[in-house]
Amino acid sequence: MQSSTTTEASTNAALLIKMIRAAVSSVEANRDTINALNVFPVPDGDTGTNMVLTLRSVIEDLPDHLTTPVPDITKAMARAALLGARGNSGLILSQFFKGLAEAVGDSSELSGRVFASALRIATKNSYRSVPNPVEGTMLTVYRECADEATKSVGLDNPLETVLANVAARSLDTVRRTPEMLPVLAEAEVVDSGGFGFAVMLDGALRALLGTDPAARVVRVPMPGGTKFSGSVKTDFVDASVEIDWGYCTVFAIQSDKIDLEKLRAHMDRIGRSPIVDGTDGIAKVHVHMEDPGKALSAGLEYGQISNIEIANMDQQAAGWAADRRNDSAAVRVRAGTRRVDPPDIAIVAVAAGDGLANLIVSAGLGVTSIVEGGDTMNPSVADLLAAVEAAPSGRVILLPNNKNVVAAAQQVPELTEKEVRVVPTRSVQTGVAALLAFNMEFSLDENVEAMTAVAGEVGEGRVCQASRDVTIYGHEIKNGMTFAIFDDEIVSVGRDPLHVLIKLIEGHSEDAEIITVYTGESVSPDQVAITTESLENKFEHLEIEVVYGGQPHYDYLVAVE
Amino acid sequence: MSIAVVTDSTSDLPRDLAGKHGITVVALNVHIEDETFLDGETISADEMYRRLPDAKVIPTTSAPSAGKFIEVFEKLAKSHDEIIALHLSSKLSLTYQSAINAVDELGSNAPRIEVIDTQQASMAMGWSAVQVAEAIAGGSTLDEAVALAKSASKRSVFIGMVDTLEYLVRGGRIGKAQGFVGSLLRVRPILTVRDGEAHPLERARNRKKGIARLKEMVTEFAPLEKLAILYTTNPDDAREIARDVAGSAPDGEPIIAQLGPVVGNYLGPDMLGLGLIRAESS
Repeated sequence: MQSSTTTEASTNAALLIKMIRAAVSSVEANRDTINALNVFPVPDGDTGTNMVLTLRSVIEDLPDHLTTPVPDITKAMARAALLGARGNSGLILSQFFKGLAEAVGDSSELSGRVFASALRIATKNSYRSVPNPVEGTMLTVYRECADEATKSVGLDNPLETVLANVAARSLDTVRRTPEMLPVLAEAEVVDSGGFGFAVMLDGALRALLGTDPAARVVRVPMPGGTKFSGSVKTDFVDASVEIDWGYCTVFAIQSDKIDLEKLRAHMDRIGRSPIVDGTDGIAKVHVHMEDPGKALSAGLEYGQISNIEIANMDQQAAGWAADRRNDSAAVRVRAGTRRVDPPDIAIVAVAAGDGLANLIVSAGLGVTSIVEGGDTMNPSVADLLAAVEAAPSGRVILLPNNKNVVAAAQQVPELTEKEVRVVPTRSVQTGVAALLAFNMEFSLDENVEAMTAVAGEVGEGRVCQASRDVTIYGHEIKNGMTFAIFDDEIVSVGRDPLHVLIKLIEGHSEDAEIITVYTGESVSPDQVAITTESLENKFEHLEIEVVYGGQPHYDYLVAVE
Repeated sequence: MSIAVVTDSTSDLPRDLAGKHGITVVALNVHIEDETFLDGETISADEMYRRLPDAKVIPTTSAPSAGKFIEVFEKLAKSHDEIIALHLSSKLSLTYQSAINAVDELGSNAPRIEVIDTQQASMAMGWSAVQVAEAIAGGSTLDEAVALAKSASKRSVFIGMVDTLEYLVRGGRIGKAQGFVGSLLRVRPILTVRDGEAHPLERARNRKKGIARLKEMVTEFAPLEKLAILYTTNPDDAREIARDVAGSAPDGEPIIAQLGPVVGNYLGPDMLGLGLIRAESS
């Protein structure tokens, strides 16, 4: 047992902060790998990102000066972790910080004993927070780490040794997760969240030992000592189109007295994979829902809700998503600059890619602002709400521009004093068409009616490349092939994106009047010129406009009007 | 007692219509590089549109001088007791001011001359001049004619679907339609003249949809007292619109008018539009 002199207390505070920061850097350094491993419970490739975002909220308000007592630091971290928790992994991760705060109690002790206690509490609470605990996940890693720590402390080891033993054990446990969870074995991966925790321990240990740099790329412990191929990424946009994963809905409930058991049972009844936990007047709920609104409504029965995050789980292109999620929480509002007077009606539109954002702003009559987001980075209800609140009018039309954002957008009107109407645009190309129907002379109702009518008439096409063999809408598509989808149907497959695009357009050359082609970020200016010329030559009777969309992933987005 | 009716060339009144109603049309000036033309007199609309897209130096326009107005008014004074002059919106041109200056210059030597700022352009103004001429032919006094000119101007509507806003922008007449500028997507802006300047109405996704919208607008503005279908370079499209909206035209057949060089300089080739006067009750 260490004595609690003031000097030692502040040394411990400094050490704790150093270790936590190193743990966070370590997860950041391994984030893409953690994302790539993510297949359970939903293969949405965001475990690493969720862990990073959760951890960032933990360290965001850490004191720079070291006079803050350790208990205050651990309590603040526990609260921040719970409030900032994203996804399954984030919530389970927040249990560790809660355990740490409980284990530290009111002392400033930082020891193997405290660490072991923290892991035991985290394990107990984590198993309790899910209705049907599954082995081969972070839960298992917590449990085995707690066992290892307890054993090591029993041998009177110092913190360094305890942590080293636990870190080694965590990697060993991660290596064995495919034995416990068949889906991991099938996908030839290990548990992503468990690996993420092991990575944290690696960083913390190196910081404790003074090894430089503390954060490093950790090799994935694969069964039989094989090397992780890095290939099990769901990096193909439509691979999971046919499976409806629903929405990962996370929010906090603030109330003096919440019956966590009752809340957990409630969430289990209405959704899938619920995790419910609480501390000091806050409960955090994570649940997978077809309709996130139901979860929020249920939450409202228990208290005031906040920190709402709704993520669509049909998320693809894991590596791609990871890159772009660095600032996924940031709402970038790009307002039109021309108007001086506040407009009668403002528009908030979701778009991914600079080109599309610029197009929308250019067509938005100076009253349109953009929320960054798209296929693999759906803005949360909170992001949309923030943009609506920032819009320069009390009346706002919201264009979700993605079928996976429509539900989140539809939550917004109830959350603001402003009069908000959603035109449920299922794609950005439809959103642009609807936007062009916006008329400043019209009332809110008239505009919503006109824009909704236009949106309903637009045919939506997409051209992209398969980055692995997939079956989609009943078509087998080989890795490397380009295919076109039109209104949820595969309409052409081939090697050459331009040829596939032409086939898509040919299917509509009779009934269409205007075809707008938005070129993606992968299409070079030369290719754009070639595309434009080919289309103009091929379809002389059609009005075809080729514009730079700069969207990620899709070579071409197509609107048929 | 006889009253002369004067307007300017931006009324885009077809020559036969002006002639039929005895309306005197004062030409604005068109400047192309070093040359100066009289709007619709020494340069035809077709010639203007032929030169417009290739003009190395952007053509400009200018109001008739006060001297020109003095000349016109003095000539009319010989055969008329009073004069009413209806002119292009003072926010778009100095023509109105020039006419006012002429009246001031003439002073008490001249007959009574009333100059009206119609706050309008093209046939929206042209029709007001026609209505005034008709009323005068029917025995209206100058005061009644002035009241009618004001009322008709208020009920008159100009609608223009342009192929591009480029001409309006470079000519400095974009006004409130500024919000339509800068779209990276090709749309056909539909504009009107409101409070004397260009004002954005809506955007048609393509020409065909725009034409359909123009036809719809005719029925929305009906009942009408006057209707003209306007064009710069596509008389066939104008005729098609005229045929399809004939039911809403006051005389069963709308007239078709080509925009003259001055108005056309700001709206550009491929423009289609409407110039109308709504019925008093509407």
